[in-house]
Amino acid sequence: MVEHGRKMINLNADVAIIGGGPAGLAAAISAHENGAKNVIVLDRNSWLGGILPQCIHDGFGVEETGTSMTGPEYAEMYIKAARKKGINFMNETMVLQFDKNRKIIAVNKKGLHEIKAKSIVLAMGCREKTRWNIMIPGDRPSGIYTAGVAQAFINLYNIMVGKNVVILGSGDVGLIMARRLKFEGANVLGVVEILPYASGLPRNVVQCLDDYDIPLYLNHTVTYVKGKERLESVTIAQVDEKMNIIPGTEREIKCDTLLLSLGLIPENELSKNVKIELDDLTGGPIINQSFETSLSGVFACGNCLQVYDTVDTLSMDAKVAGENAAKKSVKQNKFINVKAGKGIRYVVPQRINEPGKIHFTLRVEKPCESPTLHVISDGIELLKKKLPWANPANTVEFDIDISAEVVKYKDLEVILDD
Amino acid sequence: MTDEKKITCIVCPIGCKILVKIDGKHFELVDGNKCKRGIDYAISEALDPRRMLTSSVLVKNGEWPLVSVKSSKPVPKNKIVSVLNEIKKASVNAPVKSGQVVLNNVADTKIDIVATKSIKK
Amino acid sequence: MKNFHVAIIGGGVIGSAIAWELSKYKVNTVVFEMGSDVASGMTKANSGVIHSGINSATDSLKARFCVEGNKMLQSLSKQLGFPLKMVGKYVIAKNEEETKELERLIKIGEDNEVPGLEIKDGSEVKRKEPNVPCYKALWVPTAGIMQPYEFTIALAENAAINNVNFLLETKVKNIQKKGDNFLIKTNKGEFQSQIIVNAAGLNCGEIVSMLEEPDFNVYPCRGEYLVLDKNYSNLINSMIYPVPPKELGVLGVHITPTIEGNILLGPSAEFIDDAEEKRTTKEMMKTLFNEAKEIIPTLPEKAVINAYSGIRCKLASPKEGGWADYRIEESKQTPGLINLLGIESPGLTGAPAIAKEITRMISKSIELKTKTDFKTRKIIKKRFAEMTAKEQSDLIKKDERYGRIVCRCEHITEAEIIQALSNPIGAQTLSSVKYRCRAGMGRCQGGFCTQHIVRIMEEQFKIDVNKMKLKSPDSNLFDGRTR
Repeated sequence: MVEHGRKMINLNADVAIIGGGPAGLAAAISAHENGAKNVIVLDRNSWLGGILPQCIHDGFGVEETGTSMTGPEYAEMYIKAARKKGINFMNETMVLQFDKNRKIIAVNKKGLHEIKAKSIVLAMGCREKTRWNIMIPGDRPSGIYTAGVAQAFINLYNIMVGKNVVILGSGDVGLIMARRLKFEGANVLGVVEILPYASGLPRNVVQCLDDYDIPLYLNHTVTYVKGKERLESVTIAQVDEKMNIIPGTEREIKCDTLLLSLGLIPENELSKNVKIELDDLTGGPIINQSFETSLSGVFACGNCLQVYDTVDTLSMDAKVAGENAAKKSVKQNKFINVKAGKGIRYVVPQRINEPGKIHFTLRVEKPCESPTLHVISDGIELLKKKLPWANPANTVEFDIDISAEVVKYKDLEVILDD
Repeated sequence: MTDEKKITCIVCPIGCKILVKIDGKHFELVDGNKCKRGIDYAISEALDPRRMLTSSVLVKNGEWPLVSVKSSKPVPKNKIVSVLNEIKKASVNAPVKSGQVVLNNVADTKIDIVATKSIKK
Repeated sequence: MKNFHVAIIGGGVIGSAIAWELSKYKVNTVVFEMGSDVASGMTKANSGVIHSGINSATDSLKARFCVEGNKMLQSLSKQLGFPLKMVGKYVIAKNEEETKELERLIKIGEDNEVPGLEIKDGSEVKRKEPNVPCYKALWVPTAGIMQPYEFTIALAENAAINNVNFLLETKVKNIQKKGDNFLIKTNKGEFQSQIIVNAAGLNCGEIVSMLEEPDFNVYPCRGEYLVLDKNYSNLINSMIYPVPPKELGVLGVHITPTIEGNILLGPSAEFIDDAEEKRTTKEMMKTLFNEAKEIIPTLPEKAVINAYSGIRCKLASPKEGGWADYRIEESKQTPGLINLLGIESPGLTGAPAIAKEITRMISKSIELKTKTDFKTRKIIKKRFAEMTAKEQSDLIKKDERYGRIVCRCEHITEAEIIQALSNPIGAQTLSSVKYRCRAGMGRCQGGFCTQHIVRIMEEQFKIDVNKMKLKSPDSNLFDGRTR
């Protein structure tokens, strides 16, 4: 380490990974396995594994390893593997910015660091939507927590958040927290979901709500929060198909805690700073088949790319990103776009610049029984696939061999017929 | 007496709704499963429902105040409350190693409670 | 029992400004604040506008203190270290009819000696404010913006380091006049003082009625606001006001940039029965947005990221039109009781001038000798996030806690959190931290940093988890331990 005029600590890396959660760990291991000798992982927490240590429930790793693990176990498996390979970890280190030449400025208690990286992998994860993402009117009392924050307090810090709890949003975190709070003696008064179906997996509805007789209010939302100091009550109301509140259906529920499980937003402030192109639909960077962003030599994976259903598929994708980061990047001047057509919320990757077998991930717009997936390029159907079912809560994955011919000039469109 | 029961399968993300008939210890599959794994699940769910249990145990003198734990095997549903009560009373001294048994034969279930995380002093 | 020369009731911007002014003299002063921090009532929730003085009738106290305060604020900002920006404002007229209103305002302004007023053509406004179409506009160069809580915190903490006692979470329950002294009963014990300064804001009537029959009523009037994301900060450069509505004695829904780079839409004006009803409503959110869209037609709906409300303290009922002047006077019936009644807008601007006036009034009964050891401390030094790399490196070398970023959205360091929690008035809620160093004010609204701040509160300040609060005495955050 050399100090120069601006008093920076200088480092070099073959691959620098921003974020030491599951995506960063998987990418680091894979980059190392694929020839990158000097891999540095930068993480702002004092621990590794990101959100996993607070996800103490099981169900992780089933698709990937065939056994069901808890979050901390899954994290420990990757941390051990990474340490064995001699990957450098810099904890309690915050990346302040990086530039087009992949020079990273990071800070920790030792001082400012300037890290010159041959490749960068973005693995910053995501943040939770708050009350203000959906503008719930009313008072501003204490007792309103996002589900993940409550999970951290209960599972990591030994702090209980409240006694009588209403949960808004039936995503998996909301469902898991309903059971967790019940286990800790709280009175869980209900889970409120604006959609006509639960957003989380059916198995979580069964083992987190049904098992403990926790009511699920579908087609409902919270319309008002009351409480001058601590939360005193929430008002819930039914909504119609257009999600407008049906007058007269309002009902006040006395409670001291409201947990919000409203969905996740990919964290991309660093990407925005360096003008990496983002996809409005995923909230993450636009990538090609190699997980490379619009900025050459910068790759993206994990929940900052797209919000994954399971850590298994997240890790598998992150390994591909890490592998590519260890190799030389493909010239990006020519590419075709992959468009999300009818019935599709988004598709990843959004761009292709090299032929070959390409793995796609997509999310549908609404639940449907036995729909058909079509991938079309210039009027030619490249793929037609019947799906048993489709649900926005579960990503759909498929592979296509993309020929050099297609990559030359024809955009792809993905559509879903129900 | 015969009971008809609708069981949502929790084996995979699809969540099939499986209809079964139960008559005491006798089990009959009616309809709804999309695969074979569903039958096994429905049988156990109808006759002896069990769940994996995860929670946390107090750590003394550790870098974190809690260690996450799980049951070594699925716990019979009717034993969940008593197992949770034992977990709440328990404590363990740091350091804790992942895989370490924290509670033996918890609530007479012949099931152990095992740490799922390592906690340093 | 503790004896004081002066007891100030209320730690809003008015009470804090008076406390700071008095702290320059050898006088024993106490401030009773029922909230968990200063600036937690009316002061916290307003537009943060430094008014010029074009809106209040000439010869009114409102006009006088506004114009005087406006002149004092810039040097105070430098002295105490709270930021302000003199961004100026446009009052826009949509047609010839409304232009007459601009002429009326210019007349008042000139009578009040407000400099630089000018009526500009729509085309000229468009060059400066491309998103604001209008017929004509009144340009007011001496209007500006600041953060009301930063100003108040700066005043209060400077008063505190000069030995003013701030008693937080202290509610005055009863006052009796005993000879030349007042006996003040609070939830934190009994106190005596020679003079009472009633700066209780919306509760000013309640305080008066402890001693005498009030000859006035307080009419609470709620104002709701919407906050726009920082990404839209370039929608406007100056403040944009409509011509004031005829009724209610308010200025109308206006568009105000903030020091932090957000934009405020509001406030509404709605008379309410209960001064505690500080809430936001779905209906008003819509109305505010639509009214703001009249001013900026291209305003995008997704720009809205937050909402809040505040309550005005009005002495005139809706029937009377809502406009009344301040009443700043010593009670004739109860000598020693100095009342500040109906201090609404432009009270934030007027606060430093009002404080001088109150000090003059106090000096009639108590001899005020200047302190020789009066100290000044800049409240907001440069934030770590705003420093050069060299400054950051040097600072980390001196104190490694500057190298630990706790609030990732605003890049606030552990050292800054600890400073915020070590403030001289002893405010230690989550909001106290937020208002002092911005931790938790960003995109995630505290999602990432709350747990780390809580850990710092617990480990370094030994605050019991059951006593951790969001913002006020009963706004507890937690319910004990899980184990």
